[in-house]
Amino acid sequence: MKPCAFEYYTPQSVEEAIELLDRYGDDAKIIAGGQSLVPMMNFRLARPEILIDINAIQELEYIKSDGDELAMGALTRERDIEQSPLIIEKWPLLSKAISFIGHSAIRNRGTLGGSLVHADPSAEIPTSLCALNGRVKVVGPSGERTLEPEEFFLTYLTTSLEPSDLLVEIRIPALPQKMGWSFRELSRRSGDFAIVAVAILLFTEKTGVCREARISMGGVAPTPVRAEEAETLLSGQKITEKLIAEAAQQAAEETDTEPDYHASAEYRMDMARVFVKRGLQEAWNMLNGGQ
Amino acid sequence: MKLEGTYKFKAAQEKVWEVLTNPRHLENAIPGCEKLEELEPGKYDATLKIGIAAVKGTYKGMAQVADPQPPEKYRLIVEGSGSPGFVKGEALIELSHQNQMTIVSYQGEGQVGGLIAGVGQRLISGIAKMMLGQFFKQIGKELKAL
Amino acid sequence: MTDSRRIMVKVNGVDYERLVEPRRLLVDFLRDDLELIGTHIGCEHGICGSCTVLFNGRVVRSCLMFAVQADGADIMTVEGLAEGQQLHPIQTAFQEKHGLQCGFCTPGMLMSAYEFLNENSNPSAEEVRKNMSGVLCRCTGYKQVVDSVMEAAEQMRNK
Repeated sequence: MKPCAFEYYTPQSVEEAIELLDRYGDDAKIIAGGQSLVPMMNFRLARPEILIDINAIQELEYIKSDGDELAMGALTRERDIEQSPLIIEKWPLLSKAISFIGHSAIRNRGTLGGSLVHADPSAEIPTSLCALNGRVKVVGPSGERTLEPEEFFLTYLTTSLEPSDLLVEIRIPALPQKMGWSFRELSRRSGDFAIVAVAILLFTEKTGVCREARISMGGVAPTPVRAEEAETLLSGQKITEKLIAEAAQQAAEETDTEPDYHASAEYRMDMARVFVKRGLQEAWNMLNGGQ
Repeated sequence: MKLEGTYKFKAAQEKVWEVLTNPRHLENAIPGCEKLEELEPGKYDATLKIGIAAVKGTYKGMAQVADPQPPEKYRLIVEGSGSPGFVKGEALIELSHQNQMTIVSYQGEGQVGGLIAGVGQRLISGIAKMMLGQFFKQIGKELKAL
Repeated sequence: MTDSRRIMVKVNGVDYERLVEPRRLLVDFLRDDLELIGTHIGCEHGICGSCTVLFNGRVVRSCLMFAVQADGADIMTVEGLAEGQQLHPIQTAFQEKHGLQCGFCTPGMLMSAYEFLNENSNPSAEEVRKNMSGVLCRCTGYKQVVDSVMEAAEQMRNK
């Protein structure tokens, strides 16, 4: 099918975009990369009367760091983040996670902000943002505000954005130099949506002892889930194979899985356990220099 | 898909029954429900406006409070169809009393078909559960307002 | 009927100026307005890859873009690979290694391989397989596709 007709605007600045959103409210939809929106429009599932194309707003496309924090504009293309030398060096988890998104044609157009606002709980960017303790900056008619992932992701495909809000920036704190990390996902074919995805970070101070663990899981609940009780199990502990298995089991119990025709709820929960276990092993090996 | 669950309300069983079967309250509780118009006692013409992500649709259909056995159980039947597809659900709703709380347990089947079912299959079950959650949350609000 | 927009696009080195409705997909603009039917439509939701074209130097799914978004852009379709009668090494390799049967996915394969080989001139078969899985093929079983891209890589390295 072909999309329904719509009015089309190309604002050149954030202010212009917000003014349009404020004017048209619920009848308007922002288009950035279009990799999630246009399929829905082609099926006529989405029929926005007004399309606000923000691709001309250059000021929203950037990757920069002041040493302490990574700041990325919402319009930054997924491929640019994946290939950024700065991110590969300092926030490699994010680059690896993005490499799992579809195929290069999707990543060439798809944007960081678009993926976050689409809020698919199986998606790689929301899942890794939660592991990285990232925050999002939103601008609306009444000003700007910064949100934590728990405040931003509400449920399936739903964020706390109001109709007149625009996501403009994502900030991720610097990571300690000594870290182990892993991003893994289960999918039938390379590039498919994840059945489960895990993003893991481990930090250490004393050899053999885990100072802090971060375990974020995608595809296991209406939003990405940080397995906080599993993280507590690992924190301050000497890491052993047995403890990793226990933590993985605990993480699985923190999921809230639903069945669909790709996987039953039980399978997803068990795969969460398996992938957290593998991810923890990978991150731990990395931290200990491959021992 | 199978739908089942339990909710507890701090209210008398008769009051919960009232809120769960009266169209005035159902109209407020059913997510996106704009209007429930009585066709015959217990059977209502329904218009639902539901929007998730960019997918917005108006669904026209009916809601029915069938086989009522006040204040213990009834069958709730809801169906609607719109441009994104159709929805059908039927659940047995049972009320009981325990420790000054009324326990509502529902058990039923839901069906989603048409375009959203083909394209949105991954998320259907979760979204259905979410909407049921919204329904019972609103029922709780209706009870408080009584 | 919404207002049509005037757009200027360069496709395969040729400048075009046309009037389009905002909802016109880029793939339909290329095929119907410009009569460049080499680019194919398979799924209209970005998964099959047969609509893949180069947009400002990067591959994109032209079924997921609107023609109005291509105003001012530089596009290459499969028709732009050959230079006159001289086939591009990727095309020659697909010919020699039987990388196509029905040919429906082939424009997508060629354009994807074009970007891939520009970025990675000495890929492993595994890397080729991963990249080319972005275009769906029901005929070849992918083996000949991988062989073709590996052959193309070698030909391009030896040039």
